[in-house]
Amino acid sequence: MVQMSQEPATRNEKRETKFTRRQLAIALSTSAIVLAQTPPPPPLPQNPDEELKTVRDAIHQNAEQLAKVEVPMSTEPAVHFRA
Amino acid sequence: MAASLPDDIFFASITEINQKLKAKEFSSVELTRGYCARLEKMGPRFNALALSLRDQAVKAAKDVDGDIKRERFRGPLQGIPFGAKDLLAWAKHPTTWGAKPYAGQIFKENATVLKKLSKGGAILAGKLAMVELAGGPSYRYASASLTGPGLNPWDPTRWSGGSSSGSGIAVAAGLVAYALGSETSGSILTPAAFCGVTGLRPTYGLVSRHGAMALSWTLDKIGPLCRSAEDCGLVLHEIAGADAEDPASAGKSYYYAPQFARDLKEVKVGFAPVDFSERVDPAARPDFAKALETVRSLGVQLQETKLPDFPYGPVIGTIISAEASTIFESLIQSGGVNELADQKQIAGLKAGLEIPAKDYLKAMRIRSLIQEKIREVFDEYDLLIAPTRFGPAPKITQPLDRPSSDRPMPKEPGMSALIPAGNLAGLPALSLPCGFADGMPMAMQIVGRPFSENLLLTVGKFFQERTDWHKRRPKL
Repeated sequence: MVQMSQEPATRNEKRETKFTRRQLAIALSTSAIVLAQTPPPPPLPQNPDEELKTVRDAIHQNAEQLAKVEVPMSTEPAVHFRA
Repeated sequence: MAASLPDDIFFASITEINQKLKAKEFSSVELTRGYCARLEKMGPRFNALALSLRDQAVKAAKDVDGDIKRERFRGPLQGIPFGAKDLLAWAKHPTTWGAKPYAGQIFKENATVLKKLSKGGAILAGKLAMVELAGGPSYRYASASLTGPGLNPWDPTRWSGGSSSGSGIAVAAGLVAYALGSETSGSILTPAAFCGVTGLRPTYGLVSRHGAMALSWTLDKIGPLCRSAEDCGLVLHEIAGADAEDPASAGKSYYYAPQFARDLKEVKVGFAPVDFSERVDPAARPDFAKALETVRSLGVQLQETKLPDFPYGPVIGTIISAEASTIFESLIQSGGVNELADQKQIAGLKAGLEIPAKDYLKAMRIRSLIQEKIREVFDEYDLLIAPTRFGPAPKITQPLDRPSSDRPMPKEPGMSALIPAGNLAGLPALSLPCGFADGMPMAMQIVGRPFSENLLLTVGKFFQERTDWHKRRPKL
């Protein structure tokens, strides 16, 4: 998103603000990227069934993330954990 | 009379109180009555109290006064009241684990840490509130507790942090001199940071968990929340050590000896600038910048670094969910789980039973890689430093699984995953108050190699000799 001034612009300043087409294109594409990166959080579950489904989905997503990590065959689990 | 003790006493350090007890400025009975009165009066106001143990505390204090009279000194904690998170067993009294299904639970034996403290003459004033089942796999609301949401003494509309919520509140409000908490992933550091107290997460295996509720066998740790790093060192000195009753015990002792810490000029400290300049709450950035400069002024070498790239959240989430659901399987199968306060916690425990063995083992194999890579980081650095939490305590009504701020976060992760990473690797961490945002305390964490508590606490002690954030008190 284009970093506009946090202070309210005066009328004169507003009138003088001009964007080239190139600047506008960059601004819009950047906005789109930022928005895509920060989707609004999903609505909160409304009942126990929805809650269970949401948690199961989260566990599934965790498993997908774990699957992406390549672990050498020789790597043993830290089941006898020692710091 | 206990009521005549000035307020300052209840916010004094362990060393100060110990000296005054020895000098007979007041007795342990007077001190204990004073703390218990505060705990019983203000504890419920902040939802911090699970159980007052006033009668037996006063009785124990009378014994200590007899010892002091005969000059039988048993250490710096002798005669000083403390509180314990209600997941630690104290025989013949309810130990609720903060959860309704266990409200009437009574054990026959004391937790090892409480036995050790009693042996040193410490006085258990009360059991302190906690998030139910120490948070279980996850929870959505601060109200996930048998005693209601932990209310922050700095602003009771905000959360105290959890799961050691009562421990953070009680120390911040001067209801006990120090408290014990537990951490699986963030449960000591978070309430310490949000309540403006100093919290120590010891190395995995250094402190016995015998008699403590298990949430995750491979992650649980017991540690102190105190007024200062030095107090944390004195408490750790008493509670650390081998215990045949804890299968994870490292068999090591700990001696608080800051005088024997390394020359700080030789100490390399890694940090990620993005954590301090972009990720942390804007209102706290000037304080964090000063805190970094204070750390630098101790003589350490401050250098930029970052954490190895791993999916820390999914790894620790899978491990906690699988282990917690296995531990509480009978609660889940019996339907008692539905008595818990938080719907997400209930669903998380149920769903955790469905995690395939391959996913749990994959998480534990990745954990081995994480340990290896973090060991490499510590080949180069002695300590890592980052904000403990990036924003102040949220409002108690806010869903904790939603972002507390809509400000954009930097892409560069910095060390934002230092809490799960440090817990996965079993590393010690010290949370030090270092500023304020919106009138709420903020803190930074220092993380070190396994069993490097003496270095952490020495840096913390020197930092607190040059700052006074840890001495600030909420208006009660």
